[in-house]
Amino acid sequence: MIQCKTSKAIGGMGHSKKRKEDARFIQGKGTYVDDVKLPGMLHMDIVRSPYAYAKIKNIDASKALEIPGVIAVVTGKDLEKYNLHWMPTLMSDTQMVLPTDTVMYQSQEVAAVIATDRYIARDGKEAVRVDYEPMTPIIDPFESLAPEAPVLRDDKEGKTDNHIWHWEVGDKEKTDAIFDNAEVTISQQMHIPRIHVASIETCGCVASYNKVENHLTMYMTTQAPHAIRTVIALVAGHVGLTEEKIRVISPDIGGGFGGKVPVYPGYVIAIAVSFLTGAPIKWIEDRSENLQADSFARDYHITAEMAGTKEGKILATRFKVLADHGYTDASANPSKFPTGLFSIGTGSYDYGAAYMEADAVYTNKPPGGVAYRCSFRVTEAVHAIERINDKFAKKVGKDPAQ
Amino acid sequence: MEITLTVNGTEHTVQVEPRTLLVHVIRETLSMTGTHIGCDTSSCGACTILVNGRSAKSCTLLAVQANGAEIITVEGLATTEGLHPIQEGFHLNHALHCGFCTPGVMLRAVELLEKNPNPTEEEIRWGISGNLCRCTGYNNIVKAIQWASAKMQNKELPSTEPEFV
Repeated sequence: MIQCKTSKAIGGMGHSKKRKEDARFIQGKGTYVDDVKLPGMLHMDIVRSPYAYAKIKNIDASKALEIPGVIAVVTGKDLEKYNLHWMPTLMSDTQMVLPTDTVMYQSQEVAAVIATDRYIARDGKEAVRVDYEPMTPIIDPFESLAPEAPVLRDDKEGKTDNHIWHWEVGDKEKTDAIFDNAEVTISQQMHIPRIHVASIETCGCVASYNKVENHLTMYMTTQAPHAIRTVIALVAGHVGLTEEKIRVISPDIGGGFGGKVPVYPGYVIAIAVSFLTGAPIKWIEDRSENLQADSFARDYHITAEMAGTKEGKILATRFKVLADHGYTDASANPSKFPTGLFSIGTGSYDYGAAYMEADAVYTNKPPGGVAYRCSFRVTEAVHAIERINDKFAKKVGKDPAQ
Repeated sequence: MEITLTVNGTEHTVQVEPRTLLVHVIRETLSMTGTHIGCDTSSCGACTILVNGRSAKSCTLLAVQANGAEIITVEGLATTEGLHPIQEGFHLNHALHCGFCTPGVMLRAVELLEKNPNPTEEEIRWGISGNLCRCTGYNNIVKAIQWASAKMQNKELPSTEPEFV
């Protein structure tokens, strides 16, 4: 056995390097966002929709406002006055901060209660009465593409269906020709269901706007503070919060896995309320909120095919994908399209040709396709390619590893 | 309501509502933020503390239930002599990544080692099965507990250098 190890005196290669951050973590002296406490800080809790698709007929906050310690109840209509009720996603789509008339997924934010204490904020949340007119939600992406399906994003001018984008890559002609003439072809349909990152620390923030200096300090559970600052400026630049007026502090984080890249509505509501009241606003979601409303990953319906010879030589692969992105396209993916699907899908084996196409659709679900280690769809590609490789091997009577 | 708690050797008399959770008294009233809240449902164990020597999940205990109790939190593990062996073991064996679950796992391990000073790997794994680590560091957590077990019994310490395979 060869050991790649330098001498003890030199250290480095082959030696265990101790972490500098351990000292604070093992003594309980880390600073996670819920540990941040600012003078005059108020607490926010969020009223969420029990329906996946519904019209909001009325929000009655009067009972909540009677509770001593409840300062305010903020709705989409309130934010609309300042044009802060919508925000962009990283994929150039739009997402509601708080809805003015329609909720698009179960557990969507409907109103925010601001109070002096987190228990009182929760009392306030329980006391807000919302009248809904439930509608039939679309939760199946295939149904969503049917001609008779209602247009979910009717907020978008000229939108006549639920299709988001079409993407294709590879050599279709050559791939199809190989499939047409191949000795052996196999096809496999698969659904890779939604999953959630469930980092052990949920998401949250403390938004602290200083009116005198027109400056926002944002403590938040984010993996992408620079991108977040840009998004905040895009949402709130028109009220004076341009990038240089915003400082994003990402303290110790209890796990991210990509789930702490997006901008969640709770952050923006906290900023808006801090901006309007001048008080620091703390928002910490609980586990149920985290699991129901934060971004999800996967939700890919894939038909994957492989063509080859009777002897087991692989010649080509072809993918057709339907991607359920929920009610908004909020992937955290600078390439805009699932480029990993092709590069990883074709990376492990020697193909003569390959072709892949994907279509993304809207449904009544929280944002999908966002995070669990990659919006580029690397994981989906690996699963699909190995699944069809196994099936191909079985058909030609070979060991998949050969 | 008025309750009295002894936390890490110091007695505190605090006013709480009947519904106030123990974890909020520790974190907010007493400002000891080393005890974390991960799930609010006693599933994850990030809020684990010792109540009268027994590990307990403080996110589902009412503060009033702990009236008169002796509590140890992560802030109470180290002494003026230095770190507790379990803290040393976690550091030397890379048993933590984000650090959020760490205080809870360490306190659970302290109770485990008190009752069973020389646990097998299986006993350790069962022993910490109420604590989740989402960075998936269980192998090194087990090693850290084995290291602390050796240290507390003045036995030869296992190597903390990387293994070559």
